Amino acid sequence: MLDAAFLVRRQAPGLVLSGFCYAGGLAFGLAVSAALLVQAGVPADALVDEFLIATFLTSDGLAQTVTAALPLVLVGLASAVAMRVRFWNIGVEGQLWLGAVAATWLGIAGGGPDGLRLPSMLLLSAAMGAAWIAVPLVLKLRFGVSEVISTLLLGSVAFLLVQHLLFGAWRDPATGFPVTAAFAQAARFGALGWGQLHAGLYAVLVVAALVWFALEHTRIGFYADAVGLNARAARANGLPVTGTIVGLVLLSGALSGLAGMTIVAGTEHRLNQSVGSGYLFSAIVIAYLARARPLWVVVVAVMLGAVFTAGSVLKVFYGISEGMIVLVQGTVLISILMAQFFSTYSLSRPG
Amino acid sequence: MMRPAGAPGGREATSPGVPLALDLSGVGKSFDGRPALSDASFALAWGEVHAIVGENGAGKSTLMNVAAGVYAADEGVQTIDGEPISPRSPMEATAAGLGMVHQHFRLVDSFTVAENVLLSLGRRGAVRTVAQASAAIAAKAKEIGLPVDPARIVADLSTAERQRAEIVRVLLLGARILVLDEPTAVLTEEEAKALLSFVRRLAGQGHAVVLITHKFREVAGFCDRVTIMRHGRTVLAGAAVAELDEGEVARLMVGETLTTGGRPASTPGDVRLSVSDLTLSAGPHAQGLASIGFDLRAGEVLGIAGVGGNGQEELVSCLISLSRPQQGTMLLAGRDVSAASPRERRRAGLRVIPSDRFDSGLIREFAIAGNLALSTVSEGAFGGPLFLDRARMRKAAATAIDAFDIRGATPARQTGLLSGGNAQKVLLARELDTGMTVLVAHSPSRGLDMKATQFVRSAIRRAVEGGAACLLISEDLQEVLSLSHRVAVMNRGAIAGCRGIDEVTPEWIGALLAGHA
Repeated sequence: MLDAAFLVRRQAPGLVLSGFCYAGGLAFGLAVSAALLVQAGVPADALVDEFLIATFLTSDGLAQTVTAALPLVLVGLASAVAMRVRFWNIGVEGQLWLGAVAATWLGIAGGGPDGLRLPSMLLLSAAMGAAWIAVPLVLKLRFGVSEVISTLLLGSVAFLLVQHLLFGAWRDPATGFPVTAAFAQAARFGALGWGQLHAGLYAVLVVAALVWFALEHTRIGFYADAVGLNARAARANGLPVTGTIVGLVLLSGALSGLAGMTIVAGTEHRLNQSVGSGYLFSAIVIAYLARARPLWVVVVAVMLGAVFTAGSVLKVFYGISEGMIVLVQGTVLISILMAQFFSTYSLSRPG
Repeated sequence: MMRPAGAPGGREATSPGVPLALDLSGVGKSFDGRPALSDASFALAWGEVHAIVGENGAGKSTLMNVAAGVYAADEGVQTIDGEPISPRSPMEATAAGLGMVHQHFRLVDSFTVAENVLLSLGRRGAVRTVAQASAAIAAKAKEIGLPVDPARIVADLSTAERQRAEIVRVLLLGARILVLDEPTAVLTEEEAKALLSFVRRLAGQGHAVVLITHKFREVAGFCDRVTIMRHGRTVLAGAAVAELDEGEVARLMVGETLTTGGRPASTPGDVRLSVSDLTLSAGPHAQGLASIGFDLRAGEVLGIAGVGGNGQEELVSCLISLSRPQQGTMLLAGRDVSAASPRERRRAGLRVIPSDRFDSGLIREFAIAGNLALSTVSEGAFGGPLFLDRARMRKAAATAIDAFDIRGATPARQTGLLSGGNAQKVLLARELDTGMTVLVAHSPSRGLDMKATQFVRSAIRRAVEGGAACLLISEDLQEVLSLSHRVAVMNRGAIAGCRGIDEVTPEWIGALLAGHA
């Protein structure tokens, strides 16, 4: 008799229970995804091959997975740090585009000593990402404008700006396609000699370590949690509420901008119309599944990198559409979120 | 005693042979082990307006919520029109003839009045379309003489209009007993008068009306009988209004004897907190403050009594700088902190126990160690300008948990899992530190059991005896009277009066609480 039962919030869900729920959700999501892919024409025996072996257990596959994970780590962190102060950054792609534009400007224009080219690209892309999110931030703090709308819409503005540049001043004169000319060698991350993996790896590792340290071992993380969970109590207890929000939101924009830079300087070596697409959804998925914890962001980003890698293989060899890959991501996310529900509530049937 | 023309005398409301409209006896109800009602009773006759009065938390609304099926009683007997009933839902109670109009109306804002009525009627009866509902509303409104426009959207209605819509809705559902929970609290003087006159007419037509209130004026002017409640018990059952005077009612509400023991044994010293001309304009959901001023001395407790919602929350909010008053000055130990941030006021020695501890005091989801360190991390208590030594934070928390005997607590445990009393101890452990010179305590023992209440009060007492100054804002009159050296009463955002504890009488407090100085 379900109509005589109601849900009771569990006081403190145990580790084992949560572990089982997450594992169950993941297994369920993967099973449904597998069924979807088989339905779409992928032979069942190829799934394990493409998803596990080709993405983690071969050298080439692993290199590709890690390469794909680099910008995902950055956008995941971007989403996570903003989430910690309850700022919904739905404009990750916009800030990523601006970072990519900034990096491209230095990448194709040249100038300055070669040794400073990559560092200045890193700095400028981070600054542009932060500048792009500063607009919604000011609008929210000053006028109470919802950041969900303003960051999302500014994402579209950023994409139109990129189109404007690609169809205008920055169009590659050699081909006439809406892409920029290739970057000079000094503006590219060097290859590490393992698949496509490039020196951007070091930058991402350093940045991730810094964010992890700041959030877990300094006051910043403490302030962020206090502000995110109860801003009134934080203010009443003398915490720098506005300062914390401004700092972490700008950091979020900067991380997105850096992600754009690692893509154009690491793998594409030019700006085109597709470098930034798909990252918004991934960023939110990663931050949610990692519960905004930096270390987990890195783990989840690598997993998602594997899905991307497998997805591109499926696309090429089995004619699976891009939308199918997004569908797989969504299925896994929803399954895990539903599993979270089971670890949070129990069913009670009063006598 | 004066009564307006047209109001009835104290007529004999019960006559043999005719069943009572509503009879409640031996009603007990506890929330989380704390009794809200014990052995409460109430008898309502047809054709009368019956007032239930009492302080906040006396159990008036709880008793009527039991009668209306909102809460299930733990024990007790109820009859409606002579028929035994224990309603398990408001729908059941309304079907038996009892309908309640709550302080917060139960209407869908985006629907019209007619749609709301249709929604409540469901599939019962003859009314099945909006047109039929509109016709029924118009007919009912005409019959009882209460103007209600069925076609208007609830969101566009004034508070008084919503209230009328709610009354008509409840009557259309079949209620012949109408329970109104503090109906005039949200109305202007004129609107209140119109409503109360309507209530009299309704009783004249044979309905029975229960009026929950704390305003003696309404009792004297418009009610036949009055029942007084205190601490969950009925202390005066159905006395004829004509035989009572205001002083008697105030005394019964507050208690025969004013408890005056347990005050801190310290004599007031220098002025620690000086507030003058504090003025805040009213917001859509907030009471304004009208030129509040007081001085608070070291070693002194200044108690502020008053019915909740008269500006207490807003006053605390201004004192801790979460709200910015339009004018007024505030001095802490002689230093002007009128424009200071919460952090600067904290540094100047101000500490706060807010009425809702999880609103501006504690963070529910935080570990206990985090809440204990909430105000000191930014002062560098756990490592240099940047770092946070979480191990040291946990160690300090373990010490505080021992010192304040916080049961069921470990430094890493989530604060929201503690019982109310132990969560309050976390707050006390943080606020009653060595830097505290002025303590603002707002209903510090609200919702706590006897033992926790005593713990809180003796902690405040010790702090004041140690030289702190305490502003005690509480709706619990006993608490104010037993701890304070001076007592002020707040009403409609202003301080209605202030006296030394020796000059405080129940009549004086009763009159100020009810709003006539």
